[in-house]
Amino acid sequence: MSVIDDILSEKDPEKIRKETETNYREYLNPFVLRMFKNAGLDIIEGRREGASVWDVTGDKYIDCVTGAGIFNVGRHNREITDALKKALDVYDMGGWISIIRERGLLAKKLAEITPGNLKYSLFCCGGGEAVEVAVKLARGHTGKTEIICMENGYHGVTGFALPATGREVYKKPFAPLAPGYTHVTFNDINAVKAAITKDTAAVLLEPVQGEGGIRPADDSYLSGLRKLCTDNEILLIFDEVQTGFGRTGKMFCAEHSGVVPDIMVLAKSMSGGLYPISCAVFTEEISDFLIAHPFIIINSFGGTSLACLVALATIEFIEKNNLPERAAKMGKRFMEGLSSLKITYGELVVDVRGKGLMLGIEFPEESIGPRMASLLKKNGVISIYTFNNPRIIRIMPSLVITEEEVDFVVEAFEKSLKEIRAQESERKSKKG
Amino acid sequence: MTGSAEEIKKQALADFSKYVNPQKARVLKNAGLDIIEGKRNGACVWDITGKRYIDCITSAGSFNVGRRNPEIVSALKKALDEYDLGVFLLCSKQKADLAKKLAGIAPGDLQYVMFGVGGGEANDFAIKLARGFMMKTEIISTLKAYHGHTGFSLAAIGRDAYKKPFYPMVPGFKFVPFNDLKAAKGAMTDDTAAIILEPVQGEGGIHPATDEYLQGLRKLCDEREILMIFDEIQTGFGRTGKMFACEYSGVVPDIMTVAKSLGGNLFPISATIYREELNDFLVTHPFVHLSTFGGSDLGCIVGMAVIDFLVNNRIPEHAAAMGERFQKGFDVLLKKYPNLLLEVRRKGLMMGLQYTNDSIGPRMSYQLAQNGVMAIYTGNEPSVMRLMPVLVIQPDEVDFVIDALDKSMAAIIQQGGIEKY
Amino acid sequence: MATSDEIMEALADFKEQCNSNKRLRRMQRDWTKVLHYVAFDTGDKFTMTVKEGEIISNESSAAGTPDVIIEGESETLCNMFWGDINPTQMYLKGEIKVKGTQEDIMRIDAITAIIWPEV
Repeated sequence: MSVIDDILSEKDPEKIRKETETNYREYLNPFVLRMFKNAGLDIIEGRREGASVWDVTGDKYIDCVTGAGIFNVGRHNREITDALKKALDVYDMGGWISIIRERGLLAKKLAEITPGNLKYSLFCCGGGEAVEVAVKLARGHTGKTEIICMENGYHGVTGFALPATGREVYKKPFAPLAPGYTHVTFNDINAVKAAITKDTAAVLLEPVQGEGGIRPADDSYLSGLRKLCTDNEILLIFDEVQTGFGRTGKMFCAEHSGVVPDIMVLAKSMSGGLYPISCAVFTEEISDFLIAHPFIIINSFGGTSLACLVALATIEFIEKNNLPERAAKMGKRFMEGLSSLKITYGELVVDVRGKGLMLGIEFPEESIGPRMASLLKKNGVISIYTFNNPRIIRIMPSLVITEEEVDFVVEAFEKSLKEIRAQESERKSKKG
Repeated sequence: MTGSAEEIKKQALADFSKYVNPQKARVLKNAGLDIIEGKRNGACVWDITGKRYIDCITSAGSFNVGRRNPEIVSALKKALDEYDLGVFLLCSKQKADLAKKLAGIAPGDLQYVMFGVGGGEANDFAIKLARGFMMKTEIISTLKAYHGHTGFSLAAIGRDAYKKPFYPMVPGFKFVPFNDLKAAKGAMTDDTAAIILEPVQGEGGIHPATDEYLQGLRKLCDEREILMIFDEIQTGFGRTGKMFACEYSGVVPDIMTVAKSLGGNLFPISATIYREELNDFLVTHPFVHLSTFGGSDLGCIVGMAVIDFLVNNRIPEHAAAMGERFQKGFDVLLKKYPNLLLEVRRKGLMMGLQYTNDSIGPRMSYQLAQNGVMAIYTGNEPSVMRLMPVLVIQPDEVDFVIDALDKSMAAIIQQGGIEKY
Repeated sequence: MATSDEIMEALADFKEQCNSNKRLRRMQRDWTKVLHYVAFDTGDKFTMTVKEGEIISNESSAAGTPDVIIEGESETLCNMFWGDINPTQMYLKGEIKVKGTQEDIMRIDAITAIIWPEV
């Protein structure tokens, strides 16, 4: 019997749980496991479908984490799974030196659906890696070194992406990092203006800061940035790793403001939740750098035949089912529900914000985020706080979520807030 | 997607030029390597127009189990009935299972695993772990080394051409000649966190480290409290005739990185495997390193199927035997073309042909493509042709490659331009 | 066979084409090299000096220390500068010999690819 048969035939949830916990302790990270358990988030995923995931024990949850936006097309999407299976009858990854036909087809499709004059694609596996490519292209193309990025931005943890991440805890143990990155306040055009020097190559930002606490950039800020960059011959890079592929109610978040960046970074949902792929999409002018240096950025696993086919099937699914529109509609329904909770639980909910199905709820203090996560799980919803800001719980469900499921999540939030209110008043009365 | 193979090929080249990279398409076309892969099986790949090639590139050792290995394809398909990527933030049974399996086959006391997607990412984490755990900053790397293109790995590459347009690099990296123990010793300071090296330099031109060098380094590292990182991305999973190349010397590193063939040529996955003690850093910093796609549920299933295939079929031993068969052919070619082929360096099926000058690598690629073999020169050393076929290559296929080499070398001799410079 | 004058004429045209192409100049701005061309049938030698992507001089002799040496029949060299042939194809067939790094060879190919994309 093969390894996969072994794994799939084991149906005893207790055995699975015990074995997994032992292996985490012995071979992965004992402390991570402990944190999951403490947070009540020690879910071991079994079945997955649509907006939902089932623990191996059979408990069902609405997944509002979705790996920070991997599963726009839904968990274990049937159509894309079938496409990948079909592809496996013919393809493997393909050799990296070969001309990959599927890569050309995907690049062409991306040129079609990305805004403005974005045209050429360079493929990699993960979002951080694609951010690295963007930074390298900016430096290589402009011949300048400085990258202006945002406080509380998150762009990944590999060497050229890590310095762009605007939070010290990720960086400090690994210093000295690659130099040349400046951080400024998000949504503040004057801060960027002041940071520009003759050596500035690019401005890099997320159109909605994800890990930074679901903070959308203002349209006027983005159009101001576009002008500032054009005037100073600086490249504008949008990290649309979390916001891309329909998440915010448009295919790409940039469309809300109409601002076209020079480089756009895509990952996460491009994978269809099934196969790692990411890319930087850029203008023809920038591609000239890669004509002079065609093999300077290479990569074994980036944009493999299989990955490109999955991404093509994913885009087809998003377009066919009009997922951006659906995200806008469901996002509105969420907003209405959550806003009414803000009124009812004014002392616990400071703010509700977001774009499309990229939503955040802000609490008055840091401890509430983790407590909410644990209560939500009890109420059938997986949702966690943003990395750079634990006061904010993120809601990023699959874009295929139904109205009933939206209502279920809002209700779970209501139940959880109610319980926190009860806990707080109990504490107060004890103190009093 | 209809049309004749020729039409599809023409359109594919046009799309690639228009939306991916025109110069890359041009260089490959010139080199006779504008292959659009159709059928793939075992050691072979067929261009969609039907021409067969023995693949000696295999993305620098990503396809050890063979192209489209049916056992692994079927494992992935079955996994697709149940799983998707999974959520990197949650516990995953598949991740736990593969971690255990890797600890089982990794040498010595290497035990804990951090997953990533690509090799560069695995090396980035190895370097971060070394700095974070040791609380020191300096990393010693070797000249002509290749470790990947993400920031920390890129800084560790021993070749400026990959780095210069992207300056400034991550500071704190020093370079010493490979296989030179004295140089390594001389470079070590109180602020040295780790030394990183490939047990066989791949892109550097297929240079195996000597056992004495690795043993000497181990001793020095122990004395000076410096971590040793082995990058086994190209050498791992049977490539050199052992499951891992470091087994030849018996030296166990503190951190080992693997990628490429762990994905079975089907699914991207990489891993950084390290000793228990080092995990302390991750107890205090559990979420300091994250990877959305790293160690996904599907990737881990593929990784397990790959390891099972390698172990059950004794693939490392087969690689050693096929390497010997290649060597017999090389010995003949060395005698026949002494002015063209200077040396063959080899460990198992990780093989490098040292030609007399830089132009021969690309010219041989062109000739070999005409003769049904895909092969290219090493990235950091164009005078060296790398041959890294799949490990499941069969004796008649080995003979086919040797014959193609013979024909190609004869053609190059005919053309001239083979003098050393 | 091409005479030294004919090759110099082709080189002058190549220089003109190269230097007047803004896109090419930008792409190649990190490229500063001395290139020697040797016509092995006539024995004529030429020096091309490139500074930050601009061809600053062509000489009909071997001057300075070369970073790259390119050898071929005089006719082949001439055709290469007129854009009538694809240099990499000639190189891989052994009709042009290049001593230098792979990067430099690909740069020369990139120049011709930009000026004469159809070749």
